[in-house]
Amino acid sequence: MAQRKRLSGAQTSSQAKRPSGSQAAPEDEDDQTFTLPSSSQVLRGMESLAPGQLEQKTAEVVQYFLVKDQKKFAIRRADIVKHVLKEQRNIYPEVMRRAAATFQQVFGLKLVEIEQKNHLYILINSLEPSAAAPPSSSTNPKTGLLFVVLGLIFMKGGVARENVVWSTLKKLRIDPREKHEEFGDVRKLLTEEFVRQRYLEYIRIPHTDPVEFEFGWGQRAEYEVSKPRILSFMGELHQQDPQTWSQQYREAHSSSSSTPSPSPSQR
Amino acid sequence: MNRSRGEEEAPRQNGSAGRKKGEQQHSEDDEAVHHFDPADDMQDDDNDPSRRREIRSKYRDLISSVQQNREDMLNPTNNKLTEVLEEANKLFKDVRQAREAALDAQLLVVASDLGKEKASQMFSEGASFDPSAFAEHVLSFMGLNRLEVEEEEQQNGETAEGYLPPDAWHRLASRAQLCFRTAPSFHYMMGSFYAEPPPPKQRTERQRKAPTKEAQRIMPTQLKKMEESHQEATEKEVERILGYLKSYYQDDPTSDISYYEFVIDPKSFSRTVENIFHTSFLIRDGLARLYLDADKLPCIVPLEGEENEAGGSAACNQCIISISPKTWRELIDAFEITDTMIQPPNAPTE
Amino acid sequence: MSQQRMEDSHRRFLQAMMTIGVIDRQGAKTLHRRCCEEHKTQHSPDRLDSFIDTINSKLQPLFMQIRKGMSEDDGNQYYVLVNTAETDVTRMSSDYADNELELFRKTMDLIISSENGKASSTDILNCTDTMTSKKLKKIETEQLLKRLVCDKWLSENQGEYTLSTRCIIEMEPYIRAMYQDQVKMCHICHNFAFQCQICDNPACGIKIHNPCVARYFKGRVEPRCPACDDFWPHEIPEFPQHQSSSKR
Repeated sequence: MAQRKRLSGAQTSSQAKRPSGSQAAPEDEDDQTFTLPSSSQVLRGMESLAPGQLEQKTAEVVQYFLVKDQKKFAIRRADIVKHVLKEQRNIYPEVMRRAAATFQQVFGLKLVEIEQKNHLYILINSLEPSAAAPPSSSTNPKTGLLFVVLGLIFMKGGVARENVVWSTLKKLRIDPREKHEEFGDVRKLLTEEFVRQRYLEYIRIPHTDPVEFEFGWGQRAEYEVSKPRILSFMGELHQQDPQTWSQQYREAHSSSSSTPSPSPSQR
Repeated sequence: MNRSRGEEEAPRQNGSAGRKKGEQQHSEDDEAVHHFDPADDMQDDDNDPSRRREIRSKYRDLISSVQQNREDMLNPTNNKLTEVLEEANKLFKDVRQAREAALDAQLLVVASDLGKEKASQMFSEGASFDPSAFAEHVLSFMGLNRLEVEEEEQQNGETAEGYLPPDAWHRLASRAQLCFRTAPSFHYMMGSFYAEPPPPKQRTERQRKAPTKEAQRIMPTQLKKMEESHQEATEKEVERILGYLKSYYQDDPTSDISYYEFVIDPKSFSRTVENIFHTSFLIRDGLARLYLDADKLPCIVPLEGEENEAGGSAACNQCIISISPKTWRELIDAFEITDTMIQPPNAPTE
Repeated sequence: MSQQRMEDSHRRFLQAMMTIGVIDRQGAKTLHRRCCEEHKTQHSPDRLDSFIDTINSKLQPLFMQIRKGMSEDDGNQYYVLVNTAETDVTRMSSDYADNELELFRKTMDLIISSENGKASSTDILNCTDTMTSKKLKKIETEQLLKRLVCDKWLSENQGEYTLSTRCIIEMEPYIRAMYQDQVKMCHICHNFAFQCQICDNPACGIKIHNPCVARYFKGRVEPRCPACDDFWPHEIPEFPQHQSSSKR
């Protein structure tokens, strides 16, 4: 381990040559070929750059994020290095700093590291959600589905057993055994796509026989979704003062929910 | 739906009950297990194998009853979990051996998982949040029309009541998105693929010059279109081919006419394709029928009067025939075709 | 060009463009106003283009641009958020699979090499036979075409497909490079002419967009080709009702 850690900056040859699409690859392993360079390495790296190259790499990283965000999957540091920075990996911290600034300044987006273990990043909006600006016809119906599931989990105290989720969705005319005309294969959507996007966690309940699962909030949801707003929409739906759900109300307003503690596990 | 919270306080002790038991009875869990080593057992008074077996079996029963009745155990209105733990307390008095202690520990793990879950339900007042009431509210928000019950929904089964408009999920999403800080994503076409040199020019010219050759690939859905543009020529040719088919049939109504022998012109691939194309109209219009003979080879026979009425349903089947110069040559060899059965339109008819 | 600073109103406008991709001038004006109102910045209705220039000055180094162009259908101006680079990274775009992109390119081939700027759905379905990547089934092709229309890359009218305004504006450099011999320009507006009228005089054969025809010949008793002065034999379309971009 210690030896591998030293494989930083200069040694590019050892970099794993893996087809870009393989997501099943063990995430850690890839990342071990890259450790954050020390500040002196960064400095040396910057000095060796041709003028304009830092800006160029920053633009490419921004572009990479935008392309990868099309699917809303989290973006791995190892992939940024592999596909964009390549030999210039030692300027990584500076490039990321600039990319984050660009997202903030130009797009009004925030670059967030949601998991420090695997160095996963996502983009979230730093502008307040607004009903006015984008025409409502372009809203994604999946947001409605996400609200139902995340809302249910939140109201249930942070986890909802799978059968509770399905029975609720069934009332909303979603049957996981049938193809839904808006969402297609909803089981796959919930247990695979939303999980990969880190909106949801789909966890096996320990010591259950037969095996049972439950849903929790994923790391993306913790950053992207506002608990106070979920609760206030709940209140609207139930025509009930959100404060009457006192536990949920406290939970929503205690943890300043836009910046949760970055602990990898909520449970 | 204003269900007051805090109705169900009583079972809260369940979770802690489990824990207390653990603390009291083997305050130092792990060591407790290690103390029972086989050497000790031998000296022990309670070293009766059948008694030991009985205790272990009781533990196993308890564990499996907890696992299989999860739902029950979690129900805030009963004390099943507590009962199980009390039962375990009794058993534990007789625990003497490592294997039994291990089973006790296993039971505790299972029970404390449940206790934790039950406690979290209590903590979050999960019980006061009723998912089915939530679903009803969501349905109302999505614009469910509860009056339109009868219509189509009935065959869909019990759950569907009322009419849900097609934009239901969009409606929910446009309100729900105010809870989200989702970054918009950027979509583009330019740059998503390699820019390759333009297609060879001849291709477009060929397309214009030889529409009939292109026609071979055209799917049934386009037949209407073809009819419009080349209607007359096509109709004439179809009729001419029908004439051939009928005359061969009348020559000998008892023998099969091989489809391939009928349509293939061994001297011309393109004529073959045209024949296939025009013959397809005969099938579509119910003027001829395709069937398989004893060797599973396709044969064709003309239909007349009532016969083609009756064949109405069979005529609905569509199939796509493809033929390449290679298969064309193979078919000629296989069927030993030397002559065409359908003379080209302009050739002198024998 | 104005080098104003980006403010939240600009960012909001850009985000909306990311979501919708294409917007006509009238819509852009409304959006501009709303973005300014929402972020309580001063709104000058006649400064839409300089507002967009400010955004573009920041986008340009990032290989993006809000590009202005004209619609062949209604002659109105549109704004499209476009990508301006082709790199290993841009090719990682995941909206369409490789074989879907191949079919899109083939569709472009068909449309661009056609006389009237259209391709029928059956022609498109048939060209799956010549695909080199994984062949699309007919039903997959139909679904793909639907998606391409929904994503505003193609337009469809009664089974005939044309290049959408979004597509023509974003793909302009590509079309210019790939089809330079085949594509003609509109004699009036000098943009690509796909759906258009053509002068009957074989020695002339200039092309004019339908809305440009309408605008150019409006009020003329005997329409004549602006290039060869021959009689213009085609039906003159109605002048698009009241250029929505001009007022309001």
